[in-house]
Amino acid sequence: MTLLTLWLLSVLIFAGGHILPGNVGRAMLGPFADPTAVEVLNHQMGTDRPVLVQYADWIAGFVTGDMGESYAYRSPVAPFLITALLNSAKLAAVAFVLVVPLGILGGVVAALHRGKAADRVLSVVGLSATVVPEFVSGIVLILIFGVWLDWFPISATWRDGAGPFTQLYHLILPSIPLVLILFGYIARMARAGMIEALDADYTRTAVLKGLSYRQVIWRHVLRNALLPTISVVATQIVYLIGGLVVIEILFRYQGIGSLIYTAAKKKDFPMLQAGVMAIGGLFALTTLLADLLYARLNPRIRFGGRE
Amino acid sequence: MTINYKLLDILRRGRTAHENHLIDGLVRGAVSRREFLRYGSVLGLSAPLLGGVTSALGFGLSPDMARAGTPGGTLRYGQIVPAAAINPVTIADGGGVTLMSQFGETLILSAPDLSAQPMLAESWAPNVDGTVWTFKLRRNVKFHNGKAMTADDVVATFDRLSDPANGSNALSVFTGMLSKGSTKKVDDYTVEFHLDAANGDFPYAVSTDNYNAIIIPADFPQDYEATMIGTGPFKLEKYTPKVGASFVRNTDYWGAAPLPDRVEVVFYDDYQPQILALQGGEIDVIQQVPVLQAVGFLSDPNVNIISIPSSAHSQVHMRIDMDPFTDKRVRQAVALTLDRPKIVAGLMRGKAQIGNDSPFMPAYPSTDPSVPQRQKDIAQAKQLMEAAGVGAGFQTTLTTQKYLEIPDYAVLIQNGVKEIGIDLQLNIMDQGAYYGDAVPGKSPWLDSSMGITDYGHRGVPNVFLQAPLLSTGTWNAAHFNNAEYDALVTSFVASLDLESQRATAGKIQTLLLDETPVLQTYFYDFITVTKAGLGGVVSTAMGHLMLGQASL
Repeated sequence: MTLLTLWLLSVLIFAGGHILPGNVGRAMLGPFADPTAVEVLNHQMGTDRPVLVQYADWIAGFVTGDMGESYAYRSPVAPFLITALLNSAKLAAVAFVLVVPLGILGGVVAALHRGKAADRVLSVVGLSATVVPEFVSGIVLILIFGVWLDWFPISATWRDGAGPFTQLYHLILPSIPLVLILFGYIARMARAGMIEALDADYTRTAVLKGLSYRQVIWRHVLRNALLPTISVVATQIVYLIGGLVVIEILFRYQGIGSLIYTAAKKKDFPMLQAGVMAIGGLFALTTLLADLLYARLNPRIRFGGRE
Repeated sequence: MTINYKLLDILRRGRTAHENHLIDGLVRGAVSRREFLRYGSVLGLSAPLLGGVTSALGFGLSPDMARAGTPGGTLRYGQIVPAAAINPVTIADGGGVTLMSQFGETLILSAPDLSAQPMLAESWAPNVDGTVWTFKLRRNVKFHNGKAMTADDVVATFDRLSDPANGSNALSVFTGMLSKGSTKKVDDYTVEFHLDAANGDFPYAVSTDNYNAIIIPADFPQDYEATMIGTGPFKLEKYTPKVGASFVRNTDYWGAAPLPDRVEVVFYDDYQPQILALQGGEIDVIQQVPVLQAVGFLSDPNVNIISIPSSAHSQVHMRIDMDPFTDKRVRQAVALTLDRPKIVAGLMRGKAQIGNDSPFMPAYPSTDPSVPQRQKDIAQAKQLMEAAGVGAGFQTTLTTQKYLEIPDYAVLIQNGVKEIGIDLQLNIMDQGAYYGDAVPGKSPWLDSSMGITDYGHRGVPNVFLQAPLLSTGTWNAAHFNNAEYDALVTSFVASLDLESQRATAGKIQTLLLDETPVLQTYFYDFITVTKAGLGGVVSTAMGHLMLGQASL
């Protein structure tokens, strides 16, 4: 099923790219280049062949692990893709580690103080932060912490050979806009789950049988409350890795988002295909993992087993 | 002004007819000193001779403005990321041009004042009709691998660029001008270019204006990107595609010893991050900032703005073979609705020259300044609409691209033509979609009845006069087809002296004002930003950034 989805994705991208006007040689050399030069370039790259032949060629390489050569950079796609994926994973990890505990904590606190000031403040702040676009929060953060206070580097790209701590230092500023966007979302899910669990019969039972408040929250409420949050967080992982074009451009970071964006702009199909397939694969993988984790935490949806 | 005729006679000796004609023009006052220096440089008159002639005529030479810089240090500059592999034959994007200017050099520098300055060529001269140009090469030039640069390398470079089998980007300059095999070695340090047709401005075709024409060794390495071998002031240290590059001083450089020890190049996908990085001290120079983005900088004491006039412009075309613009009176009426000084002040924050609906921008020496400037005149525009039978106005569409200030410009045009009853719908597309396949029938650029196209800088107007306006032109979006115009352009291109160029230019300007196939209302400046106190940075409107003499 997953493979079928990925295959359809590859067909869609290929077809979409070829329906749009403009050919590859033209995109490389620009509108003012000599037609002969464009023709020669298309011939060199094989982009003057029928689309189906090009697709067959690409898919034949892809299934054997050969992602082809970038039209723009005239060198294999794989190193570009690996670097970009690795970079994106690092940024996503930093943002993830910051936002998940914060978001859950915020949701839990809000739920425990339902209707009181803390709840309102958290909801309003979380919601407001969610609607601020990354390019606005990013520029404000750079101006305050990069230009005026000079606490953090403006560029997320570190120098060659930088250690993990330097890398982390470079990634803190760009991860904050992502934290701002996701915090409200995760907190809201966690709050809703908490409230539902707090009102549930088993919670009343737990309280009535004399368990301490702490025990009730930890052993009965949280475990049930966080189930929906897990699937929400899982779907956000793909966004954190592949959807950060704006952040990557603003903070000068070579991630998978800007890799796909520039490849699409330049009609660099091998690069575009590889990038989209990587994101598609990642999406399938995280969804699967989230389902497994959900099943692990929630025995009710397990098939067959009766524990 | 006292003229020293005796000195002048000595200087005239041995000069060709064209050169003496230019000197005559200066003596008579038909050519200004600045134009004389610039045009003399195109004809290949040496700098001492040019200085000699001007001082014989009583002009003082401007003092050398070069300041003594301090050597050492690392200079970091930001630029837009090169869009493709670094191969001098195929590079076609601004990012690639800027990177190439760190390590590569052309025969001639098309300087910021539009004069042709010697670079790898020491001198050059045309034959009597401008069909053969002879170049003397500089003798002490070494490539980064230590080998001497000779005529063989120059011949190989131009044969490579003019060979249709190479997919060379320079073909857009060389087609119809220079063919493969037409560059001939005379001796180790002399090269002749045998042109397909006479051309008075040929030096610009081998200058930085034709950025692909950097001289590289005859045995062009296949993995050029790994070495980036050239003759420039800096040698490649490390290149990481999409991220950046670093260069170190070329200790064998033929010219003044480069001042910075190292140059670090930082690639960006956009301008905003570069502006923030300069403000945050992460880079020292931004190679280029579009005027609209530079607004925040214009009054900032911490930065230094280098603003040079360029011929870059946004050309509005109206298709003369398609309703509603078949009648030239309608096209003139549209042109008369635009308030050019206001557009320059408002849209371009004053960082532009006013245009007069032809490629002849005021800064070109060949432009005839006596042709009257078109001004906003709604009454006349309405009369023209009446006369053309469309006094009640009409509805039509302006098709263009989302690029720099163009969408804002489109709105200004929309508001302008509203005053004469034209209801202009805007169709603003993605840049790639607008240009499409760049052939008629598959390109909104070439097919739309009205559109706006961005043209980059050229040191001479020849390219602007040809492909976008000749009846055979491949970028002729206006579908302009005028035999008189075609003949005038051929004669303009072949002219070897400034006076006859300017006379022809006047005719072309007048003809284009009358026919109005295209509108050029402004030519915007090219802006480089450096941090305050950084001197010696030279940039060209073509996108070169020369840091050899830059120092803090």
